[in-house]
Amino acid sequence: MADPIVVAAIPERTMGAAPTTAHPAHEPRDDVRWILGDKGPRDITDDVCRPLGRRPGRGWWAAFLVALAMLGVGVASIGYLFVTGIGVWGLNRTVGWAFDITNFVFWVGIGHAGTLISAILLLFRQKWRTSINRSAEAMTIFAVMCAGIFPLIHMGRPWFGYWVFPYPNTRGPLWVNFRSPLLWDVFAIGTYFTISLVFWFVGLIPDLATLRDRATGLRRRVYAALSLGWSGSARSWKRHETVSLLLAGLATPLVVSVHSVVSFDFATSVLPGWHATIFPPYFVAGAVFSGFGMVLTLMLIARKVMGLEAYITKKHVEMMCKVILAMGAIVAFAYATELFMAWWSGNPYERFAFLNRAFGPTGWTYWVMVGCNVVIPQLLWFRRVRANLAVVFVVTLVINVGMWFERFVIICTTLQRDFLPSSWADFSPTLLDIGTFVGSFGLFFTLFLLFCRLVPMIAMAEVKAVTAHQPKADDGKGGAT
Amino acid sequence: MSDAVIRWTTLEERDVLRQGAAVSQPTVGATPASARDETPVDDGGDLRLSRRGFLAASGFTMAGALAACGRAPPVHSAPGAMAPEDVVAGRATWYATTCGGCAAGCGLIVRCRDGRPVKVEGNPRHPVSAGGVCAVGQATLLGLYDSRRLLRPVVDGRDATWKAVDERVRTDLERVRATGGAIRLVTGTVNGPSTSAAVAAFLAAFPTARHVSYDALSASAISDAHRRTHGVRVVPRVFLDRAETILGLDADFLGTWISPVEHTRGWRAGRTLGGAPPRLSHHVQVEAALTLTGSNADRRVRLDAGTEGAFAAHLAARLAKAAGLPAPATPDPLPVEAAAFDSVVAHLWATRGRSVVLCGTNDVDVQACIALANEALGAYGGILDVAAPSLQRTGDDGGFAAFVDELEAGTVSAVIFAGCNPVADAAGGARLTAALPRVAVRIGLAERHDETTAALTVVTPLPHAFEAWDDAEPVRGVVSFTQPLVEPFGEPRSLRACLVAWSGAAMSELDLVRATWRRDVLPRLPAGAAEASSWRTALRDGFVRVDVPRAPARPFDVAAAAAAAPRVRPPGDGWVLACVPSVAMLDGRHAQNPWLQELPDPITKQTWGNAVLLSEVSARRLRVADGDRVRVTGKDGVTATLPALIQPGLGDRTVVLVLGYGRAGTDRFAGVGPAWIEAKPTVVRGGTVGASATPFLRFERGAVVYGGSPVVVERAGGREDVARAQVYDRLDVPKNVAPHGGERRDPVHETTLAAFTKDRRAGHPHAAHSAADLWPAEHRTPGERWRMVVDLTACTGCSACVVSCQAENNIPVVGKDEVFRRRDLAWMRIDRYYADVPGATGEVEVVHQPMLCQHCENAPCETVCPVLATVHNSDGTNGQVYNRCVGTRYCANNCPYKVRRFNWFDYARHDRFADLVLNPDVTVRTRGVMEKCSMCVQRLHEARAEARRLGRPLADGEARTACQQSCPASAIVFGDANDPRSAVARLIAQDARHYRVLEELNVKPSVGYLTKVRNRPADGEGAERHG
Repeated sequence: MADPIVVAAIPERTMGAAPTTAHPAHEPRDDVRWILGDKGPRDITDDVCRPLGRRPGRGWWAAFLVALAMLGVGVASIGYLFVTGIGVWGLNRTVGWAFDITNFVFWVGIGHAGTLISAILLLFRQKWRTSINRSAEAMTIFAVMCAGIFPLIHMGRPWFGYWVFPYPNTRGPLWVNFRSPLLWDVFAIGTYFTISLVFWFVGLIPDLATLRDRATGLRRRVYAALSLGWSGSARSWKRHETVSLLLAGLATPLVVSVHSVVSFDFATSVLPGWHATIFPPYFVAGAVFSGFGMVLTLMLIARKVMGLEAYITKKHVEMMCKVILAMGAIVAFAYATELFMAWWSGNPYERFAFLNRAFGPTGWTYWVMVGCNVVIPQLLWFRRVRANLAVVFVVTLVINVGMWFERFVIICTTLQRDFLPSSWADFSPTLLDIGTFVGSFGLFFTLFLLFCRLVPMIAMAEVKAVTAHQPKADDGKGGAT
Repeated sequence: MSDAVIRWTTLEERDVLRQGAAVSQPTVGATPASARDETPVDDGGDLRLSRRGFLAASGFTMAGALAACGRAPPVHSAPGAMAPEDVVAGRATWYATTCGGCAAGCGLIVRCRDGRPVKVEGNPRHPVSAGGVCAVGQATLLGLYDSRRLLRPVVDGRDATWKAVDERVRTDLERVRATGGAIRLVTGTVNGPSTSAAVAAFLAAFPTARHVSYDALSASAISDAHRRTHGVRVVPRVFLDRAETILGLDADFLGTWISPVEHTRGWRAGRTLGGAPPRLSHHVQVEAALTLTGSNADRRVRLDAGTEGAFAAHLAARLAKAAGLPAPATPDPLPVEAAAFDSVVAHLWATRGRSVVLCGTNDVDVQACIALANEALGAYGGILDVAAPSLQRTGDDGGFAAFVDELEAGTVSAVIFAGCNPVADAAGGARLTAALPRVAVRIGLAERHDETTAALTVVTPLPHAFEAWDDAEPVRGVVSFTQPLVEPFGEPRSLRACLVAWSGAAMSELDLVRATWRRDVLPRLPAGAAEASSWRTALRDGFVRVDVPRAPARPFDVAAAAAAAPRVRPPGDGWVLACVPSVAMLDGRHAQNPWLQELPDPITKQTWGNAVLLSEVSARRLRVADGDRVRVTGKDGVTATLPALIQPGLGDRTVVLVLGYGRAGTDRFAGVGPAWIEAKPTVVRGGTVGASATPFLRFERGAVVYGGSPVVVERAGGREDVARAQVYDRLDVPKNVAPHGGERRDPVHETTLAAFTKDRRAGHPHAAHSAADLWPAEHRTPGERWRMVVDLTACTGCSACVVSCQAENNIPVVGKDEVFRRRDLAWMRIDRYYADVPGATGEVEVVHQPMLCQHCENAPCETVCPVLATVHNSDGTNGQVYNRCVGTRYCANNCPYKVRRFNWFDYARHDRFADLVLNPDVTVRTRGVMEKCSMCVQRLHEARAEARRLGRPLADGEARTACQQSCPASAIVFGDANDPRSAVARLIAQDARHYRVLEELNVKPSVGYLTKVRNRPADGEGAERHG
């Protein structure tokens, strides 16, 4: 009772509102109003928590069942794969990776935006991130989970997948190969996933405490356990802030490293089309590009479905569009650089690899990629386009299609025609390839829909810090200072 | 059971437990009928069976059940203590024998492990093959373990005993003899002294019997032509090593014609560039189909099928005129460009005495023209030996045609087919099917049921060559022996033993062979040879050289040769058919062999079936692409519907069908390959692999006509997969994606003899690469450093190494669908590239490049494997650790040579009989594991261990890889590069032709290649082209 803040919180808790989330100190407000309406902390808590308390609507159920069905397709496909063998995919002796690693890189890329938004934008003090960082981080975690499936299932003998971990074993000197980029992947993805998960969870703690306080019965007990006894004390807040900042600092290099390492899978090989030093920055930019695309796709749906228009505003969308535009420019520049380097290297294999990409047997995929990633995003230069959420939605979808094709182009067209013409072969996917791909989307959406129902989609505590609402002495909207 | 310990805590419990155990034992073990009738007591509490008791009882039951499952012990089993003294478990024994794959009679050494043959190798001392074995010879091993082999005699469709068969056949033949009915014994080429003796005795015993011998791939016209010109019906033996200029006319002598291994040896001997001056014969091939031989020629000239006769007549006329001999008429125009013709004639004539023309066209008049040409060139007596001729194809088309006529006329009372399948592979096969049921006594000797045995009443099993005693005289003066390497499966009996049993007293196979040896062969040996010791020596060596009775030479009958009038070409502009054998299938006698079915054709690279081969122009004319079904219709309405395949180098009127496919029973391969939801069967149930081209063969002018028949070709609608092991065929990259300066890939270095003589480094497109090395020299090779060099000038692409590797390394067959999905598992592949010949539309040049794991020093595969499943060995090779592999396939992606092969499914074999072929020294790989060439690590270790046991260093040539061992062209040199005197080290150090593929990547392969040099002498007409 010595702590005044806690004292102030007690009466509100008895009111059943969300007192423990009260921010210890409002940061200086800027001119931009990131939240529409005069929302006090109480309004924010109510708005965000409302969907969690209600029974899910028909829309949610429909979406969930579709997602679950897709997940079922994936589980069946992977089950069949495990029983039968990797041959159920369309791979061959020339194209040893296609959908599997394409999907892996695609999902890792999607998983980029969350941590970028949380960590880097936090360090850069970009306030607008607060409305979207929670779901973006969740998306990151789910996307990395989707990504993580593929390196495992693409193995010929997945039941020995644990051999890629350097653990003490009884096999004498036989250990992992630290020169292999695949091993680096294991570390990079593992670290990234761990940090992202911890970061996300730490950010969730105050909001989970709010839910705990609003809930009763079993839910309350679960949320109580998950909120780790959060009391909302100044000390808690201080430590929370410190941990968040530290994690942000840790996560920031990971945002860059994880996709750089993924790109090493290709860059360190000898194959023309893969063997290029541009890959790390090119992959990171592409990942942020696709990640923002996916975040925006999901946000646009969520704000509509969950009624969060006040929190995810057109201004947010505008900011995100600008990031996408910037990243898209980097990606386009990377494409151009690749072409230039291929020409300038004078290496006939390199030159061929790029000509083959564009005009070879699967050249159409290259043009899909260019169209989706370079041409279409240019629409976002126009303010009217950025303001038209329907168009933005379509553009983000297009970007994600384009980014999937980018990875497919890099992986598949490089492998299909390398050095010796005798080995050239094409790839065509089987039903199981497609089923596994669909399944990964199923997993992603299933997890995301569960997320929407089980934890606050918007970081209430953080949003409260950026709301324009001025607390008055007794307006009944809480707003403890 | 009685002494099972029962643990108890109270005396009452002990009693109950004892009682329970005593009661339970008999009921659990075997329930008596009475016990079963009793209503079971539902009170489980009463049956107090302890856990121990239950386990003991069920264990006993299990043991009893398993004991009851055991098979009765085989009669011939002997305890290990009584093993033959030279058999050591785990060590191979080697036996010399003779190949039964065709009648060429190559010498083999077969490796046996634990009493069963597991690998075929060439016998280096054999006078015919000199250590080479072809793909078919290698694959005969699998035929031994064919589960569809006939094991016991069959009479009227039911299994029978030999006793019953012998009685019935003797009675039948006796009746025929009594009535004076004709008996016909139909075989392929028979050249073994003991079998010939048995046939002669049989013919003597049955005066109305006659021996009809035919070859499905006939050389009858050659024999008939030599009867005209030399007075003897022989196929001359060819010594290509003596030839400086070789003209092949429609003769695939390196691939399928008469004795390919022998010819390859000779051809190779004429291509030794190491000497000074370098020796390189000039080989021109004129042909309709693109054969293996044509692909290796220094210059290949295409002509349309059916115009070989015109070419032969022109050739004979020109050469005869030059030699001052009477010339045959040349009614047809010259079917090739005059310049090409003049050039080849000029070369032949300039090197006369050292030049030869080989012709495979089965037309007596054509062959007479060729004989005249060879006489004019002075080939007889030097390159062509008529005095000690080849006996590898002695069949007589005329005799067989007469037999078919007789059969149709109904004048034959008994017929015995032995080791041949004329219904499927002979011209007139369809007529046989119709006529056979009218013959009263129909007997067949066959290794397995086939189209011919289907029409017979008595069918008896023939032994596989590895189960039998036999002898052969493939060329006059060489008797080659076959000895059994394994206890026969079932109860097979050879033709020789059958004929003896049916005509006289029965004798054992060994006694028969040895009796012939004593009577016919021993006297021909150099004087003073003791019977027993020379017999043993002969068996050990696998052959003996014997005297050839020299008949007085008859002068060449010039008039008869000059009177030859080859068939004129079919008139008009229509399609003309050429039926050719393929290297793997030959006449189809090995169509039941999955190794050969999956062996990519050296030219088309097709597996599991045949196709209608068309030139690009023809395909455009028919508006078909690869895989579109096409119907070929010949005379009498015979048709074949097959997918089209565009084949460069064909004449624009020519369509080619490959023989040997469409065999009955090949739907057995329907289940070959993995079963999964998108899998397509290798062959549809009830169908056949490919379609037969045999119905298109006809008798004409005393011989079987393989090419030149007019046919109608039309689109049949629909598509069919053509499963090819290589789908991009050129070194030139596609024009639309060809970068400036990178229009052509250069894994194959080529040059001409003229350029090579001037500069030994000719053909290498750029100077040796010597960039700074990022890699430390981290791999030390203290002992051997294995390296390999492949001479592209010698390699013919015959694919013997491919099957040899498959047999040695337990490489499974994956089926048509998997090949179509580019998932073949061959560790050794032959890359085949076409190149257009500048200035000659439609002509094509071919190069073959064996490609296997290059065992790079800086191996890209090794760095990327996350679990160290592929590592560098201290002997310089790159090892693949199967049980460590998790199957990420990164190594395969990063391999610039794409030689790594992945087990996409569990390709494990389910045929337990065929599994006996597995090499016990090599792991059978499971699903999800990468594999690739190991440089036959098991053979290297075996050689090293043997040298260590004998306490001496490993000598050069003692450790040989499987591919190297079988190569008929000795194109593969392998050895220890740390030993500067080894052949491989000398080649690498001294031969300027040596290069490594993709050297610019600095992966430092251990496998090198020697530049392909073509002999294209500059002549007045054609400017020299540089490769």
